[in-house]
Amino acid sequence: MKRMLAIAFKEFLHIKRDVRSLALAVAMPLMMVFLYGYALDMEMKNLKVGILDLDHSTASRDLVRRMTSSNFIVDAGRLASREEIEPGFRRNRFKAAVVIPVGFENSLQTEETTPVQLLIDGADGTTAAAVDNYLKAVIAALNRDLISGPGGKLTPPVELRPRVLYNPELISAHFVVPGLASVILIMICVLLTSIAIVREKETGTMEQVLTTPVHAAEVIFGKVIPYVGIGALDATLVLLMGRVVFGVPMAGSWWVLAAYSLLYIIIALALGLLISAVTHTQQMAMIAALLGTLMPSIMLSGFIFPISSMPWGLQALSHIIPARYYIEILRGIMLRGELWFPKQLAIMTVMAVGLLLLAAKKFQSRLDLL
Amino acid sequence: MKSLRWFIPVLHLVKKEFRQILRDRKMLRMVFMMPIMQLLILGYAATTDLKNIRLTILDQDNSPDSRRLAEAFFQNNLFVHGPAAAGQTEMEEHLFRGRADVTIWIPRGYANDLASGRTAEIALAVDGVNSNAAGRTLGYAQAVVRQEETRLLEQKRLSQPALKIHRVDAVSRFFYNPELESRNYMIPGIAVILVTMISGMMTGMAIVREKEMGTLEQLLVTPLSPRQLIAGKLIPFAVLAFVELGIAIPLAVFWFHLPLVGSLLLFAGCTLVYLLVTLGGGLLASTVSHTQQQAMFTIWFFTIFGILTSGYFYPVENMPRWIYLLTYANPMRFFMSITRGIFLKGVQLGDVVQDLIPLFIIGTITFTVAVLRFRKRIA
Repeated sequence: MKRMLAIAFKEFLHIKRDVRSLALAVAMPLMMVFLYGYALDMEMKNLKVGILDLDHSTASRDLVRRMTSSNFIVDAGRLASREEIEPGFRRNRFKAAVVIPVGFENSLQTEETTPVQLLIDGADGTTAAAVDNYLKAVIAALNRDLISGPGGKLTPPVELRPRVLYNPELISAHFVVPGLASVILIMICVLLTSIAIVREKETGTMEQVLTTPVHAAEVIFGKVIPYVGIGALDATLVLLMGRVVFGVPMAGSWWVLAAYSLLYIIIALALGLLISAVTHTQQMAMIAALLGTLMPSIMLSGFIFPISSMPWGLQALSHIIPARYYIEILRGIMLRGELWFPKQLAIMTVMAVGLLLLAAKKFQSRLDLL
Repeated sequence: MKSLRWFIPVLHLVKKEFRQILRDRKMLRMVFMMPIMQLLILGYAATTDLKNIRLTILDQDNSPDSRRLAEAFFQNNLFVHGPAAAGQTEMEEHLFRGRADVTIWIPRGYANDLASGRTAEIALAVDGVNSNAAGRTLGYAQAVVRQEETRLLEQKRLSQPALKIHRVDAVSRFFYNPELESRNYMIPGIAVILVTMISGMMTGMAIVREKEMGTLEQLLVTPLSPRQLIAGKLIPFAVLAFVELGIAIPLAVFWFHLPLVGSLLLFAGCTLVYLLVTLGGGLLASTVSHTQQQAMFTIWFFTIFGILTSGYFYPVENMPRWIYLLTYANPMRFFMSITRGIFLKGVQLGDVVQDLIPLFIIGTITFTVAVLRFRKRIA
């Protein structure tokens, strides 16, 4: 234990001396939350729509006004003819074009149905669906006014009263920032530990350390201890930043969150150890860390891509991604105010113990080979 | 002739570089596995489609009308049945525990209201944690109710022939991707990310590695001029980027059935312009870093930020004003738009010029600064 602490102290000195890397390890997460928190804004707005109004009537202008009155749609200007629509899509001038036919106003008073054409750039399917849905909602509202407004004779049959729980204003950052915390934690912890150890392997200093009477496991775990501190510091800063800058609520308790976070940090560090056991160069360690831990933590954890939309194979795979459980916990505590996560806690504990044992075993058998 | 004499030593260096890359078996495996893995994982996982929304309906009216409304929600495969609930508290509990994504309550008297011409109210509660999914879920639910409403009005009209209802009928037509498959939009983006990672990150790290090992100094005492040295170090990674694309594009077209309507030649040309940025960026990062770790962090940071502000995940128009303005300095944004345009819309040179010019300007600046800095450092 004492020897392990000595190694920890040595590693601490290494970190302290390399101020630049330390600053990076602390400043980078903060910058990431700040920039990514803003950049990952999923709320669609300011989508450009071109309008081809062939009727030039009061009714057509009213429809256009209804469509462009929210900040979801921005008026990209009037089109002169249909020939402008496709080139406009190709040059990304607008995402959709609304064609109001000649005789729109007239037809609205005499005919049962009056067609309006929505031409939508489907390349970005998600945005296209949202634009389509929005424009149709505007037209549905117009239809309601036509039957029940002044001059109408009927009441609309059904009224949907929606209520949004846990994030009533649908603020994107409240969803993104807790997930970001888990991604940043795993990135910092795995990269720092694996590279710190592999660097000693690469430069040959690991051999020197091992000639001392210190036990192999003591070296490895001693080296990791300072990084638990850095990980905890990063977690605190990231979550505080989410609270202060992005106003992410805290419906649960900071202390409970801290306890779960510590467990997650241990998992991340154990993953870093495992990577350092199987790689020999920093470059390989880095690539393994990015592809083996960071990518799955971003892609398969439900961080931004809903797991339920994935094919079953990937859904199954997501069950072994630690970030998935930590993100569920973070969102549960911060947004819903839930405190007790028996399933996630059990799985994460098993993961932490298993990974630590595995790493210890790998090093036991590998150290002679250094 | 002179240029040939200049180039021959460069070729030797390129050969040495390739030998170094090919010798490292793990590295090699990585180089070939990366495009395949990325395409498969990103291609399947990076979907912003919303499927299998778990909906719990509490139908307390239990009339033919209310049952018809309840069934209407499950007709287009967007919603799946969530756990059943006996009362409102249980429904809320399902939401709180994350067992259902959205709940709908049809109160007693729904059919009665419809029959007597009053507006029947139904209540919806959606879990807002995933703001994006919640907003879209709300939109889908409203669309279902709208449809049901139209049907009810139609019914009423049939029973009262004197009644005249006027309405606007919206007809949508989707260009380029009629099924609105989000994968088609994401996959060309993966090609952009692949090129960036391979050419940018590997260049930067390879140069710093030589620095770290001290072999860069050995290269400097050879008769190679700094320019030849730079060319020799960068060309292999440019080639590698094209190799990656050569693996990724057939995979995208034959496995994911990505429509490739544009010209591959135009894409290759634009990629060359983009390589100015990534190779220059890698070189630049190598001049400000002493260790591979620092180089990696620096490049990684810019790459991720570049991806986020490129419109890869979400349209850049969503972003706050100041970030939106920043995206104009992001070369990846322009290359992303070019790549998607060529793959999905079959755009021509005339259409990509607006993106190609800024890309070229950013590339030239990055590359020039990098070369100048590198030469100063080794002088």
